[in-house]
Amino acid sequence: MLVEFELIQKAQKGDATAFNGVVSAYRRRILGTISRLIGRPEDVEDVAQEVFMRLYFSLEQLRTPEVFEPWLYRLTVNACYDYLRKSKRRLESRMADLSEQQVMMADAAAGSKAQSEDFEKRRVRDTVTGLLASVSEEDRVLLTMKEVEGLSLKELEKIYGVNENALKVRLFRARQRVLKNMKGVTPPRSGSAKSGEEE
Amino acid sequence: MRNDDRVPETTTQEADARLDELFLAYREACPDPEPSVNFTPELWVRIEAREVSTNLFGRMAKALVTAALAATVILGLIVSTFSHNESQFNGTYIEALRADRASSLEPLNLDRFAEMEQQ
Repeated sequence: MLVEFELIQKAQKGDATAFNGVVSAYRRRILGTISRLIGRPEDVEDVAQEVFMRLYFSLEQLRTPEVFEPWLYRLTVNACYDYLRKSKRRLESRMADLSEQQVMMADAAAGSKAQSEDFEKRRVRDTVTGLLASVSEEDRVLLTMKEVEGLSLKELEKIYGVNENALKVRLFRARQRVLKNMKGVTPPRSGSAKSGEEE
Repeated sequence: MRNDDRVPETTTQEADARLDELFLAYREACPDPEPSVNFTPELWVRIEAREVSTNLFGRMAKALVTAALAATVILGLIVSTFSHNESQFNGTYIEALRADRASSLEPLNLDRFAEMEQQ
């Protein structure tokens, strides 16, 4: 855990400073997870604030320290699902609302941003995003939590409330589907993706 | 499990290793973003807004419950007042019917029948 349980207990009692401490400890990790799950940098903070707001209003129900992190991840996964469901509905109307000029400007901005990004990183991102698109949204989130976020099966068991064997089967099937689509994908150049790494 | 989801056994290990490598590279290509300076203040604005709306909803719910209770008491009083007035007749059911329809329960006039038979 990134914080002491005492801090969480203080936050449970309504101590705003303690809650700020919890937010400060976890916000970067949660922002990272959300950015990899939803793939839209402009909405990551909004979803993360929703996660912490849900945490604030449900914190008093927490009894044991070991369930805090799985609980926070569950809130994160649920908020991402909600966002993805909403954004599916919004996508068409949003494109219809933009004028032709606005669309051209948005394309130009995206192009210049893409040029400035490291090519290899972008290639890896596009490849993995494309591969994960071959599985359902639920399986994509599950695979990302396991393979990219590095959560263990025990942690996933607590987050999803499903037994380990069921998770294993689901992960195996999702992975097989991804592997099937992976033929012809160039492997990442070792070390190149690490260049410019912040951590 | 369907067979078409399976990858040939010989290439599985190699493909698995490549996929793991790809996931690792993806994790490194997508570092955790830095939160903006306004992250926490904006979070508190959202929390307070939710609290206000929750309180407003709570107050509205309380007001509605109070109004419903008041309406129930008033209706109860009205109904009990009316039923009290109606129950002033202290006889049996038959007596009450008789009092209500006294004319229709009068004995038949037999003289009138006799006149009708003579005609």
